[in-house]
Amino acid sequence: MPASTILREDGAYHSFCGLTCVGWLYQKIKDSFFLILGTHTCAHLLQNTLGVMIFARPRFAVALIEEADLSKRQPELRTLIDEILADHHPSVIFLLSSCTPEVMKVEFEGLANSLSTPELPVLFVPASGLDYTFSQAEDSVLQALIPFCPVAPPEDKRVVFLGSVNDAIAADFALEAARLDIPVAGFLPSNRFTELPPVGPGTVLAPVQPYLAKVAQRLQRERGATVLNTLFPFGPDGTRAFWEALAAAFDQSIDLREREAKAWERIADHCQLLRGKTVFFTADNLMELPLARFLRAAGCEIIECSTTYINKRFHGRELEALAGVQVVEQPNFDRQLQDIRRLKPDLVISTLATTNPLVGQGVVAKWSTEFAFMPIHGWAGVATLANMFTKSLRRHAQLDPLDDPVWSAGLMPGAIPLHRPAMMANH
Amino acid sequence: MRLAYWMYEGTAHHGVGRIANSLQNVHAVFHAPQGDDYVNPIFTMLERTPAFPQMTTSVVSGRDLAMGTVRLPDTLRQIEARLHPQLMIVCASCSTILLQEDLQIMANSANLEAEVIVFDANPYRMQEIISSEELFTLLAKRYAQPQPLTAQPSVNIIGPASLGFHVRPDLICLRRMMQTLGVTINVIAPLGASLDDLRRLPAAWVTIAPYRELGLKAANYLEQTFGTPTLYDAPIGVQPTLRWLRNLVEQLNEVGARAGAPPLRLPPLTAFSLDGISAPSGVPWFARTADMESFSSKRAFVFGDATHTVGMVKFLRDELAMPIAGAGTYLAHHADWVRSQLAGYLPGDLLVTDRFQAVAAQVQELMPDLVCGTQMERHSCRKFDLPCMVIAPPTHIENHLLSYNPMLGFDGADFIADKVYTTATLGLEKHLVDMFGDAGLTYQENGAAAAPSVDEAAPVVSSIATETTLPTATEITWSPGAETLLGKIPFFVRGRVRKKTEKFAAMNGHSIITEDVLQAAKEALGG
Repeated sequence: MPASTILREDGAYHSFCGLTCVGWLYQKIKDSFFLILGTHTCAHLLQNTLGVMIFARPRFAVALIEEADLSKRQPELRTLIDEILADHHPSVIFLLSSCTPEVMKVEFEGLANSLSTPELPVLFVPASGLDYTFSQAEDSVLQALIPFCPVAPPEDKRVVFLGSVNDAIAADFALEAARLDIPVAGFLPSNRFTELPPVGPGTVLAPVQPYLAKVAQRLQRERGATVLNTLFPFGPDGTRAFWEALAAAFDQSIDLREREAKAWERIADHCQLLRGKTVFFTADNLMELPLARFLRAAGCEIIECSTTYINKRFHGRELEALAGVQVVEQPNFDRQLQDIRRLKPDLVISTLATTNPLVGQGVVAKWSTEFAFMPIHGWAGVATLANMFTKSLRRHAQLDPLDDPVWSAGLMPGAIPLHRPAMMANH
Repeated sequence: MRLAYWMYEGTAHHGVGRIANSLQNVHAVFHAPQGDDYVNPIFTMLERTPAFPQMTTSVVSGRDLAMGTVRLPDTLRQIEARLHPQLMIVCASCSTILLQEDLQIMANSANLEAEVIVFDANPYRMQEIISSEELFTLLAKRYAQPQPLTAQPSVNIIGPASLGFHVRPDLICLRRMMQTLGVTINVIAPLGASLDDLRRLPAAWVTIAPYRELGLKAANYLEQTFGTPTLYDAPIGVQPTLRWLRNLVEQLNEVGARAGAPPLRLPPLTAFSLDGISAPSGVPWFARTADMESFSSKRAFVFGDATHTVGMVKFLRDELAMPIAGAGTYLAHHADWVRSQLAGYLPGDLLVTDRFQAVAAQVQELMPDLVCGTQMERHSCRKFDLPCMVIAPPTHIENHLLSYNPMLGFDGADFIADKVYTTATLGLEKHLVDMFGDAGLTYQENGAAAAPSVDEAAPVVSSIATETTLPTATEITWSPGAETLLGKIPFFVRGRVRKKTEKFAAMNGHSIITEDVLQAAKEALGG
């Protein structure tokens, strides 16, 4: 069945670059260190987007390119690596590229190789904002880990869940697999670099995050693994499809219709509120396709589902489920703004940069960023997922209408004030 | 090349964004990769802007570079069609500046009605503060026009800008004081100013430029070119505010005398209070109350930008009578000024560094009773269990509050004194509890009770020793017995005793501090 037509525009710019994936990955892979070869800009980005995490002990830093370094052919990172080793004792260092060294044509692969030792591998991760956006760089990190996943023999027929999730979600998935008699080899990424799962021709890769197309493809090509082609495990519909497909990959036929119905029943209140609501996704972290698909199944009308990148194979089932919906890759934000004004959606899922200004225009808008950090996977995540959408709708409905511009008077420094103060009007 | 975990200043293009977002009908355009748009949410999140900030990233992607695609002219045309700004300020980013493209030619090819300035904000030579100061000076020079003075006594207020530290409440306070004096405000810039307002800058009798970081050079230019006298001081604290008001009246009267205007007179000071009948500030009396006696033994460490570091050190010592343990700034280009302002105030040298680890090490060394710093010092102080208040950028969302919290003027003195009082550990009550037991309350060791502003969980006991990003870290642990003994020492010296004992243990080769080691240290170090 042909999927919905995908419109491609000229670029989503209100999102983060690939470096932001450090925010969750350094916490996920507990014996890692993330070293970004970059500038003051990269450091400023990280402290502003990951500001909250500075309270922990960060295992990430920027090897700062300053003016004197611009003329050097290859950056000298040995002493910095030693400093990191002494301070943090990591099992692995991920060396992330950024825009400036990309423009300088730093040869990253060679640089990482020259710094690597058998005791402490230094792995190159392409993540620069010239080519990678937000969650997409997790794909790069996982690709860098491929050579360190042991090769599983062909008779080792087990599942590897693909994508970083927190320990609670991982435990849920392992438990559910055990219940269905599906043998589990592990998670990629694992909590420790030293505990990566084996992958081989018998491995079934079950992607739990929608931004990992390339690593899935490579493991299929290089190790002969099978990539599960199904919906991502978000919402009752996605979770059922996911587990049924996974069971089928292990030659089991299961019917989770009842389980799905029960899950819908648990969020009936939410669905009642969602039914008939028009929703618009402006594109941010590549989770848009499965989220829109869930909302559609919950009764919403998706006016537009924009996302930063689409892989027609990896996202194939999601695109099928969205047939008839306007799907846009790399949307133009100006065009989206005009459409939002014209179509007046009930809910807009938008980026960190655009949410407050959209709310200021009278739109009910919700941060897309939050979905990347919430336990919304699988059966256990269903209620959390539904609540994230309805919370915004309920909260705005509960508040008094913001029907007088006086309540935002003076908040925009460059906007002309409603009434200039008398003392200034004299002149 | 060095490892960077945290920056005190933002980037050059962030400085450009702050100026553009302050002015009316001005738009910044960053010729940059998509990732550089991260500055946008800093505005929409911290200032919680109900509209889009006046800046756009004209995306440069890897594919564009490979294909030779240039999107800048298109972006400029799109912005013009949508927003009709009078002026667009274009700058490159840390990566695109290396391409050495001629942005002026690119911008010209867009054939715009708006003026376009290509601002050379070289991110390897300037950061946020210099970039915003240079850009604002350039705009003041470009637009200010010779013209007659206003008929009534008037001032310009120069320096408040988008994302500035407490600038909105500062402006409220300055407006109130001008109203009380009967002085009109000619122009406030850049915050809220139009290009026409910049043209009218020379009409003011006097310019007020309270911030060392922004507006200084523009005020200088107005002074030299149009003869507008400038008040450069920041009225932080009660006595500085009084002196500042007297200077202002004097300068206005000098200008007025030349025009034959009747002289202004400083009204009774009660006129400056909120109700018009009370003292303009509660600080002078508050500082003399018995309650504040315990503050005379509290040592403060101050670190921040130039304006607030100087203002806070003077306020704490001169108006609250607190001893100063040390001070520093991350603005190397203002260090000489800070040093000269604080001559005689500091027990040692001024700390000048943009490495937060160096500041943390200094704090750990001094173990002051109060730290006034940036968001980063607030974080460091959590590890050291020291009370900290934020007095300078960089800030956290928690520093962007709704209520009236100025740093300047009489109102500012009240706000700062309250903040000091509620941040530092209180006097008698806690003394009693600590000296004679817990009075039925369970105080967390190292806990939040010692610092009301701290809301995160208390750090573990050995965190000081294992915090390896800090240069002076050593691997020393405390035995449970020694820990209990330490708990019996009054809280207000406990931190210092801990630190000194660890030093003593390190010097004498003890890796574990037992009760005996603690006792020996107390004896050796005189308790």
